[in-house]
Order: sequence, then structure tokens, then C-alpha cells
Amino acid sequence: MKEELNLEELEINSWKKKLILSWIFTIPIVFLMYFSKLTGIMLFEDNTMIILSLVLAFPVIFIFGFQTIKSGFRGFYTFYFSMDSLIALGTVIAYLTGILQFVFIIQDYSGIAAMIMSIFITGKYIESVARGKAGREIKKLIELGAKNARVLSSNKEIEIPISEVKIGDILIIKPGEKIPTDGVVVKGESSVNESMITGESLPVDKKKGSNVIGATINQYGILYVKATKIGEDTFLAHVINLVEEAQSSKVPIQKLADKITSVFVPVILILSVLTFFGWFLFGDITKGIGAAISVLVIACPCALGLATPIALTVSSGIGAKNGILVRRGEAIQTMKEIKFIVFDKTGTITKGEPEVREIYSLIDEKKLMLITASLENLSEHPIAKSIVKKANLKKYLEVKNFKINSGKGIEGSINGKKILIGNEKLMKENEISLKQIKIDDFEKKGYTTLIVSENKKVIGIMGVADAIKEDSVRAIKILNKKGYKTIMITGDNERTARAIAAQVGITNVIANVLPEDKSKKVKELQKKGKVIFVGDGINDAPALKNANVGIAIGTGTDIAIEAGDIILTNGSLMGVVKAVNLSKATFSKIKQNLFWAFAYNVVAIPLAVLGVLHPVVAEIAMASSSITVVTNANLLRRKKI
Amino acid sequence: MQYGDGYWKVNSKMKKLLIEGMHCASCASNVERSLKKVEGVKSVSVSLMTKKAIIDVDTNVKDEDLKKAVSRAGYKLIKIE
Repeated sequence: MKEELNLEELEINSWKKKLILSWIFTIPIVFLMYFSKLTGIMLFEDNTMIILSLVLAFPVIFIFGFQTIKSGFRGFYTFYFSMDSLIALGTVIAYLTGILQFVFIIQDYSGIAAMIMSIFITGKYIESVARGKAGREIKKLIELGAKNARVLSSNKEIEIPISEVKIGDILIIKPGEKIPTDGVVVKGESSVNESMITGESLPVDKKKGSNVIGATINQYGILYVKATKIGEDTFLAHVINLVEEAQSSKVPIQKLADKITSVFVPVILILSVLTFFGWFLFGDITKGIGAAISVLVIACPCALGLATPIALTVSSGIGAKNGILVRRGEAIQTMKEIKFIVFDKTGTITKGEPEVREIYSLIDEKKLMLITASLENLSEHPIAKSIVKKANLKKYLEVKNFKINSGKGIEGSINGKKILIGNEKLMKENEISLKQIKIDDFEKKGYTTLIVSENKKVIGIMGVADAIKEDSVRAIKILNKKGYKTIMITGDNERTARAIAAQVGITNVIANVLPEDKSKKVKELQKKGKVIFVGDGINDAPALKNANVGIAIGTGTDIAIEAGDIILTNGSLMGVVKAVNLSKATFSKIKQNLFWAFAYNVVAIPLAVLGVLHPVVAEIAMASSSITVVTNANLLRRKKI
Repeated sequence: MQYGDGYWKVNSKMKKLLIEGMHCASCASNVERSLKKVEGVKSVSVSLMTKKAIIDVDTNVKDEDLKKAVSRAGYKLIKIE
């Protein structure tokens, strides 16, 4: 990645050098040309003037402009034309008029040739600087990685370059230091500033067992971290890869511009020849040469070709800073047509860490907990884990014939008694009476309610709830206000789901949905309008893929990558608001840029053909057109997202 | 779940080429056109901004051929990732 940075610097520096040198020779030409025109005083004789101009222009075009001339004329025998071909042809023809005028009666354009080349070089310099600025945030990301690591080796601390760190090494990070690579804390406690990578502004607490991300900053305590990922496998490397992918992804609206760009140069070459002959037929060779040169140098595919990529570059940089990674450019274009935003409940609206809130027992509560936990201990479901945690037991009862009924619950037998734990559906299927318990009360509180039965008799119920993320309410309020129809989708039953939805301000609920049916529901909604699905990327991958825009929410140290057009590296739902804002702002920048680029060419080229534009004016206009596009894209930064 | 586990495996033949000398939009489209002519290259996306071509190729395509294609269009292939 370092090479890319160097390449860019090299490019800027080489343009800068050429810029200075070429103007040293061009300024005297400008002076000579306009001094006599403005004052009427002739400094030299006509022929001397032309020779002087030829001598001064020579190095500008053929030495400082050598690269451009070479690559430009190369296009004429390889048929890979670039804009260099236009500039090369334009300047060389203009220069030759200075020599030809000794033989024929034509105007000398050699001074103009030098000016065109100098302005071209200046334009390219400004453009390359502005392009570098556009990629500022990404550059910062690339430079973010730690250079060194302090490793514990046979009880001694040694400092080694980051490239020598191996998986399993124990790294020591002192307060204020950068965590060298991804790992897990084995000793120590601290809080870590992860804002540079996830955009999360509050420091995150870390203790033994916590995962840490490389390149984040340790705040106050000493941390001992075992390296788990290195090099290209780290979180930072993945983020950089994603941002890069985002920069080169295609937005559909650019397609036409790309098509035009690919045939642009040959078309302009032909047009320029036609322009010359057109004027030649009217008998004005001088005008013909001037107009033909103008056509060559005014036509600029750059503004067209840069319109989208430059906006994407600036946008992906801003996104990365805010923890938003847009993987697919189409998402940016689709965003303005979105009608529905569907949120998965668990892990998206809520924290995804359910806990037991209330227990209603018809038998001894300890016994109820023992039976329930013994069964739930065999399940990997987050709710099962919350019950096991709550019970906090060292020994469990032996369970036979354990079975999971997906979306309903679990069953098994303990001491010959059949135990069923699950939702109402499971109980009804097994014809178990629910008269003795008040499920409604639990569900109205937004609890996911588990019913425990023994030999077809209810022995208790447990209310499990998952705390809502701090930002969820605010984010949904903003999205509602923007006019989106927000919807919550969940496997919970209607009452529980409504209670939670009400807490965050969502009125539309799709409840009782089995995990595998989420994508079906998304498809149904799509008949009525375009849909964003927001989910955790692991369980919701099919729904994320099917939605018009899939927003995958990251969970701590892993990037949920499988599906998702947009990835949020931190869990907050405010990321959804920002992603919507950023996409819309980016798309409108792209549209503006394309408009200007098209308008410029549509207006400028006919004017050049008609001979209205002086070649120098044409070249200035050309240089400014691409600078305008790049600068306009940089203005995206001003937008508050 | 990891980024590296799923995504890249599906696109296991993806290569990133770092290219020197592209400084305008038609340069990018030249590189794209030339790379597409190489047999076994399925898709090409060239970015002027990152100076990279991201390509999807059959595994039997030689790096040398890619290099030739880039230089045919008048640019220099610096690195293949």
C-alpha cells in the first residue's frame, strides 16, 4: 500500500517540476506576444519574434512536455488514444505553424503551443493535488497501522517491527500506545479509543477475554494482548480493502459517461480534421488551424470520466471515518428510491444480549431453574445462554432425547419426565393448557416468554428481554421523520414484538417470522416499494442480499461481510441514518459533476468548431473543467451527515 | 465470521494490478480495453483514483500476459496483489 502513496507523490512532484520549468520559458513568450499588441511598440522585427518564440517554445513542448508528446503520439500507432494524443497533436501542429509560416502564408501559433502545454501541465498539477486531497482519509487509514510492537519473549520485553509479529505472540501495550494488531486481551484492564476505525467516539472498555482491534489506542491501563490476526487478515486491512473496493465500484449513472469516454478521443480527432477542412473550404487556413487546435485542446474526457470516481473517493473517505463502508456503488443510486426500512430486532435494534428479567414459577423456583437450565445448557441460542447464565449452576441434570424445534423451543426428558420449553405455539401443538399463567402480562412488557412444562403441565414461565441500544430510538425517530416507513421484523410473537417496537417508535411489525423466512418477507414488501434491510450479516445474509440495499451491522471486532451493500463497523443504528445521508449527498454530487462535465463539452466543442474560442482560452477552459469536477467532489466534506 | 473466509474465496481469481502512468479518464478506459483482450480475463474494473485495476481472471492466466497488456496500452504494471 505504501507504493500507491509514493506513486501519487511522484506524480504530483513530477507535474510540479514540469510546471515551474515550462512557465520559466512560457512567460517570456507571453510577454513578447502581448507587449507589442498592447503597447504598439515593436521590440523586435517580425521574423526575430517568431524565431525567439520557436526557440523558447521548443523546450516547453519537446522537453518538459516530452512524456505527454510521447504517450500521445504512441496512441496513433497502437490505437490506444488518450487525452495526451489530443494535446500532443494540438501543440505540435501549433508549433509547426511557426516553421511553416516561413514558406506559406499562415499565422504563427508556436507561442500559443507553449502556452497550451504550460496550461495543460498546470491543470494536471492542480488536478493531481486535488485528487490527492480527495483520498486524504484513505491515506490516513493506510498510515494508521502500527510500525512496531512490544513483544513478551522469555519474560523479556523486546521491540520488533510489526511485520515480525506472529500469531500467538503476547504483546504489551502501555497507556497511550497503539495496539499493534488484532488480538485478545490476556491480562490487564483498560479502555481503548477505537474511533479511528469504527467511528465510535466513546472509548470501549477492555478486560481479560475482550477482543481488541489493531491500530486503536490504549487509554490508561497496561494491556497484555495475544495476537490473533496479522497482516492482511486484520480488521484494518479489511477496512482498507473495502474502502478501495468502494472507490472503484461502478454507479449505474456513470455508464453513459464511461461509454462516451472510451470513444471520445478518436471522435474529437476526426472532428478536428473536419473543422480544419471546413474552414479550408471557406478559404481561411489560419482560422482553420486555430479552430482545429481549439477543438483538440478543449475537448476533455477527464471531467466526464472523473465525475463519479472522484465523488466516490471523497465519499468513501468520509464514510470510513464514520464507520460506514459502502461496498457497492449501486446502493448510492438506489438510496433515493427507498420506501421501507426493515430492521431485524435482535442484535440490530437491541443489543443482542438477552437476559432473564422475570420468572413466574408454579413450583419451587430453584427446581424450575435447575430443570430449565439443564435443558437450555444444551442449546447454543442466545436466549438459552441467558437462562444458563441466570441459573449460574455448576452441575446439571442428565437430559435424554434432547431435540431443538427451530423457531419454537426445545424438548428433552429428565428422570423420565418429558420437559418442553418454548413458546405458545409449541405448547398448543402439544395440547398443553396455559390457563394457570398470565403470558399477556409478560408479553406486554416486551419480554420474550418461555413456557416450561413437565409431563404436559406448565410449571413456570420466564420473561427474557434484550436491552435496546442507546441510539436506536433516536435513529428511528430521524428516519421516521424523513418519511421512511420503518418496520421491525422478528421471530417474537405479535404482542412482545409490538411492545418492543413501541419502545423504539416503530409502528409496523412483522412478527412470528422464522429466521429463514425473513428474505421472503422482504420480497413481499418489494412489491410495494424499494427496501433497505438492516441486519447483522450473519443470520440475515439472505435478507440482506434480497433487499434493494442491505445494511449489515458490525458486531465489535468482526466485519460482517458475507452480504450487505453497506457495512457499518460499529453497532449503532445512527450509522443507518448516516449511511442514508451520505449516499444521497454522494449521489447528488455525482449528478452535479456529470451535468457540468456534459454541459461543458456540449457547449465548448461547438464553439471551438466555429472558431469562436481562441486556443489558449480553450485550453484554460479545459483545464478548469476537470479541476471544477474534482473540487466540487471535495466539497462533499462540508456536508454534515 | 470473517471477511477473509467467504468473500475472497468466491472471487479467488481476483487480482489487483497497480498501474503507473494513468492520468486521465481515457487512460483508465485504455487499460480496461487492453486487459479485456487478454484471454481468461473475465472482468476488469480500472480506477483512476486508486491507480488500480481489479480483475477477475482464470488461474491459468500468466502475470506476464497481464503486464504485456498494460504496456500495450502505454502504461506500466508495477505490482500484482
